[in-house]
Amino acid sequence: MDPLAMMRSAVDQWEKLANEYGGQFLQRPETTQAMQKMTAGFLQMQKMTQDAMGKALAAANLPSRMDIEALSGRLGAIEASLARIEAASAPVPSSGAPLPRPPRTRKPPLRP
Amino acid sequence: MSAESGLFERGRQEFERALQRNIKGLDYFTSPAPVLGASAKDVLIERGTLRLYHYRPLTDEIYRVPVLLVMATTNRGYIFDLTPGQSLVEYLLQRGYDVFMIDWEAPRPDEKTLDLASYVLDFLPSCVARVKQVTGEPDISVIGYCFGGVLALLWAALHPDAGLKNLATFTTPVDFTKMPLFATWSDKRYFDVDRLVGTLGNCPAEMLYTAFDSLRPGGRVAANIRLLDRMWDDEFVKAHRMIDRWSSDVLPLAGAYFRDTTKRLMWDNALFERTMDVAGRPVDLEAITVPFLHVTAEHDHIVPTAASAPLIEMVGGTDKEHVTLKGGHVSLIGGPNAVRRMWPKLDQWLAEKSL
Repeated sequence: MDPLAMMRSAVDQWEKLANEYGGQFLQRPETTQAMQKMTAGFLQMQKMTQDAMGKALAAANLPSRMDIEALSGRLGAIEASLARIEAASAPVPSSGAPLPRPPRTRKPPLRP
Repeated sequence: MSAESGLFERGRQEFERALQRNIKGLDYFTSPAPVLGASAKDVLIERGTLRLYHYRPLTDEIYRVPVLLVMATTNRGYIFDLTPGQSLVEYLLQRGYDVFMIDWEAPRPDEKTLDLASYVLDFLPSCVARVKQVTGEPDISVIGYCFGGVLALLWAALHPDAGLKNLATFTTPVDFTKMPLFATWSDKRYFDVDRLVGTLGNCPAEMLYTAFDSLRPGGRVAANIRLLDRMWDDEFVKAHRMIDRWSSDVLPLAGAYFRDTTKRLMWDNALFERTMDVAGRPVDLEAITVPFLHVTAEHDHIVPTAASAPLIEMVGGTDKEHVTLKGGHVSLIGGPNAVRRMWPKLDQWLAEKSL
């Protein structure tokens, strides 16, 4: 009798049962409903905090997260335009080193 | 060997392992994680969440048709390029392919408006055009992993003249009702995706990580017990660290994209029901007639075979093959099973079609 082999086998068995019964529990509609209610509660709280912070920041004449996101969006659009221009101009690798260009003539090896 | 000496030998071996476990256990917490995704590459596109990489060839002669790997949007692409000897990218380069990869960074808050159409009608076509420009070749082979496969399928169906020569999908779902836990959690009676996206912008990575982790509620605890038990085994520890790091490295999803995929794929099961559209353009998978390889994993707990297997019948053309290999969702492409089974199968299938 090998106690370590028994321990390993017990871990395997436990994992199998935990996955089976845990999975069944998580698949129950009641569990999903409870999980989603918690998520909805968290989202509601998040929204209320966002609104309150937005008003406070506006009163202090400071940009809100949405203002920063809008700026980030505009920067992203500029970045995308630059990327398109760069792509249209020349295929230069980012590292600056010359791109190796082996001939594209390879044939698959003969299989027995 | 007598019973006593056998027992003595076993005891000695376990003592030695316990010693190594203690020494290496300390190393585990103090040593840096293995460097992943280190194959030499050039970044061809770096636009918001999108990255297009071109890997440096490792052979003097390469196949004519370039290969584009499309990573799933929830995880990092270095699963294709773990460490030397455990890297699909390195394997393909050594076999003479010209390899590109579409990878993703976490979408920025302002990228919450990216939707499914952004990925299928903008990102993928831009990358394919860039690959053609760099290689000068009109043809391309595309390989999609998990949801990267879904994106590749949608792109292929909507761009019949894009020069697609071969298409392969790994563990790609098509019947989303056969992913029971995801289907239950996103049940429209309880899950208000509009509210989530409206409040948070992008779908948080933590939420996705918890969802993936909950698919096997006992998996993480059992994995840690096994790690402690096998701490003396360097190869096991290395493999555990690589896969553990990758599976914990989950990306957030762009809000509108998450909303589109939840509504159209999880709720409507539109791809399987053949009612899918992207920005109003109907998707017909039968329009994909190029050679097609569909690889599924026997023990895939994320995309069960029942969710992925029907794809082979839905794609058009006659040169198509479905292979189910031993392994799970991740080990299919990045573990010892992958090295032995999947990579040689892919090479065998692709080589003659890459001329």
